Amino acid sequence: MKFQIPIGPQHPALKEPISLRMTVEGEVIRDADIRLGYNHRGLEKLAEQKSYIQNIYLTERICGICSHSHAVAFTQGAERLLEIEPPKRGLYLRHLVAELERIHSHLLWLGVAGHEAGFDTFFMYTWRDREVVMDLLEMISGNRVHYAINTLGGVRRDLDEALRKKILEGLDVLKQRSEYYFKIGASEPTFVARLAGVGKLPRERALALCAVGPTLRASGIPNDVRKDDPFAFYGEAPFEVATADTCDVLGRTVVRIKELFESYKICGFILKNLPSGPVAVKAPRKAKPGEVVSRYEAPRGENIHYIKSNGTDKPERLKVRAPTLANYPATVEMLRDGFIADIPLIFAAIDPCICCADRTVELRDARTGEERSVRFSELRRTAEERFRRLPAQRNVPWPF
Amino acid sequence: MKVAVFLPELIRHLFRKPATVDYPFQKLEVPPDFRGTPFLHPDRCIACKACERDCPAEAIEIATVNEAEKTFKMVIHNDRCIHCAQCVDSCPTTPKAMEMDKLFEIAAFDRHDLKAEWVFARAVLKKEPKPAPAVPQAEPPPA
Amino acid sequence: MKTALYLLVYPGLLFLFVYSTFAEWFDRKVYARLQNRMGPTHTGRWGILQPVADFVKLMAKEDIVPSRADKTLFVLLPVVGLAVVLTAGLLVPVWMSDPATPGVVSFSGDIVILLYLLSLPTLIFFLAGWASTNPFSIIGGTRVLTMLFGYEVPLFLSVLSPALLAGSWRLAEIAAFYRAKPLLLLPNLIGFAVALIAVQAKLERTPFDIPHAETEIVGGTFTEYSGKKLAFFRLMTDVEMVVSAALLAAVFLGGFGGGPLLGFIQLVAKTLFVIFLLSVIRAVTGRIRIDQVIGIAWRWLAPLAVLQLFIVILIKGFLR
Repeated sequence: MKFQIPIGPQHPALKEPISLRMTVEGEVIRDADIRLGYNHRGLEKLAEQKSYIQNIYLTERICGICSHSHAVAFTQGAERLLEIEPPKRGLYLRHLVAELERIHSHLLWLGVAGHEAGFDTFFMYTWRDREVVMDLLEMISGNRVHYAINTLGGVRRDLDEALRKKILEGLDVLKQRSEYYFKIGASEPTFVARLAGVGKLPRERALALCAVGPTLRASGIPNDVRKDDPFAFYGEAPFEVATADTCDVLGRTVVRIKELFESYKICGFILKNLPSGPVAVKAPRKAKPGEVVSRYEAPRGENIHYIKSNGTDKPERLKVRAPTLANYPATVEMLRDGFIADIPLIFAAIDPCICCADRTVELRDARTGEERSVRFSELRRTAEERFRRLPAQRNVPWPF
Repeated sequence: MKVAVFLPELIRHLFRKPATVDYPFQKLEVPPDFRGTPFLHPDRCIACKACERDCPAEAIEIATVNEAEKTFKMVIHNDRCIHCAQCVDSCPTTPKAMEMDKLFEIAAFDRHDLKAEWVFARAVLKKEPKPAPAVPQAEPPPA
Repeated sequence: MKTALYLLVYPGLLFLFVYSTFAEWFDRKVYARLQNRMGPTHTGRWGILQPVADFVKLMAKEDIVPSRADKTLFVLLPVVGLAVVLTAGLLVPVWMSDPATPGVVSFSGDIVILLYLLSLPTLIFFLAGWASTNPFSIIGGTRVLTMLFGYEVPLFLSVLSPALLAGSWRLAEIAAFYRAKPLLLLPNLIGFAVALIAVQAKLERTPFDIPHAETEIVGGTFTEYSGKKLAFFRLMTDVEMVVSAALLAAVFLGGFGGGPLLGFIQLVAKTLFVIFLLSVIRAVTGRIRIDQVIGIAWRWLAPLAVLQLFIVILIKGFLR
């Protein structure tokens, strides 16, 4: 007996609104239908009205957890268009904050995975240790989330010696706790029983569906923008791409914990080899006409920003392709033939950042198949008219 | 298969102080350079309007009150402010006229309570005194 | 007069209400401290009034009945559930239960009645889920019944083994027997462990809180309940916890003897000990899947309970 369960838009398993309609038979999922657009804020249009320096703060607020990765991707692209190059010290500091953000995001994810599996103790412990990273980031940048440390041409603040030592101490504490979690969390039987064998994504399907980030790396494919397309100092920094072979949620957990350790290595490398010099160069206001594609490895995968300029101080077009958007087709594949009890874990395993992923909504006429774009005020008017016209109905089946 | 591997850690926590801070009875100190709310030093401002131009949230408004006396009025809309401190970075004076303070408990019931206003006369940049011209050496008597 | 006191004050209505809110506070505080947090603090000294505050808040909220739900069932079920567990609470041997004189509340066979009264809430949860006609509630209801197939047999077997050793089906007599010969409590330790895990499953706490798994099926059986009905359901789960803890304490830890005052102190101490163990189990593990519950129950719990029965029979033969 098949019936449909709505997971979302409002559901405790999701942190943000998204609609997953599951067709369920008993406890087994037969099909899933993803509908997006609940978090659309019109950011790309707004970016055309603001200058490059104002856009840094706008792109930062696309997301809260991966805020710095959006800011870095945008700033890299804008610096290319403005034809300036940040000094080495600025680049090192920018990526120090980026790696600290990766640590914070992976610790957050570990806690969320524990909470979705019902293991609240793990959730509380990892989030308590995440406070160490957030305090470090507050000391460096002045705020716990939305660091706003990027500027066109480098970074805005500098590190002094006392702060450098504090960061190294904090990293030591975190490294110890992460080793504890790796050793113990991997052997807690109830937790591992929930994660192993769940949400399988074989290697060929992962490549065919264009998965990115730890979702892809858990299927054994070592794709990482920092290694494939090295920028800044990633060419010399000593780190390896973390992969796992099991293609399931346990593999993704292992990949993220391994990436935690790689990030500790990179942060240590940065802090020990910090070059001296200025942290920023002065940036011009107007950009020559051109276009640029900027890629960056966010904690969730590959983040792509496309910027087109037309000679003024405002960009003509900004397009953001967030990593979670690329993982949605893979999610539908992973959800088939799973249990209802596994839905939150499978969905949490791609590390969904749904607010990153909502861009434009396209209306397609169901009868003729043509597309058109509609103003929001127009949509509202049509909806209110329809509501006034329809008679009140009872026991309406869901429209599919 | 090990059962209850977290148990020693759990029991140890029973005897430790909890990690929670009992807000609002205890508060944490914010670090220096914390980005709180922006405010103006009216005696240093030259009314160049760089902060108004660069603010991402359009939270600063500078209007001319009196053209002849060169007095201006600045309104900072703290309800629109996103606390990014770009205004501080864009300010060209030394020492800077815009500064961030450390306040973060700024919730109010009415958004109009959060606007701050200053009426001031434009500061004049003091010119550096020209160094006194070098006293010409007496010309050596022609040999 | 004495009956009225028994029914309404101790261990009747008033005592169960006050004590179950205290037990919920204790459980939440221990759970929080194990996770390095604070737990309830502000309401009353040490947050002791927090469960009462939650109850009062829920009673004051709006009560919505879904239009397609079966109204009679929907409205009656919380009240019937609370009545069932409060009646089960009357059978706990604290007072007026002299082993010599069987009375109205303590008679031969009352352990079986207590166990059956404690199985009724499961059926009530299933009916509550079914009557809500919400896909999440239906799934929650079916999960509750599926779990019943897993833990009921080990629970019954493990609780009845000390009764076999004591040679009686009466709670007061079992408790008195173990008070007289405390060493005989030791062979029942396996049964105690099995009973703890089975009771955790009956009370739907982690690792078995599958029927109302918050992150999977929103509220499970309780999704559509709000206001006064939800308050009654929550009070019912609290009282169920106290009564199950009292049952385990009476059978495995030697009961509560020594007259009314000493019995009261022993009741509080022993039930809080059992609740502490249940909280530790809750904090240490994560939630498991429903098919894994049945696997664990029939592969580990039931054989261990049968082993316990075997040991008890051997010892009984030995003692004769």
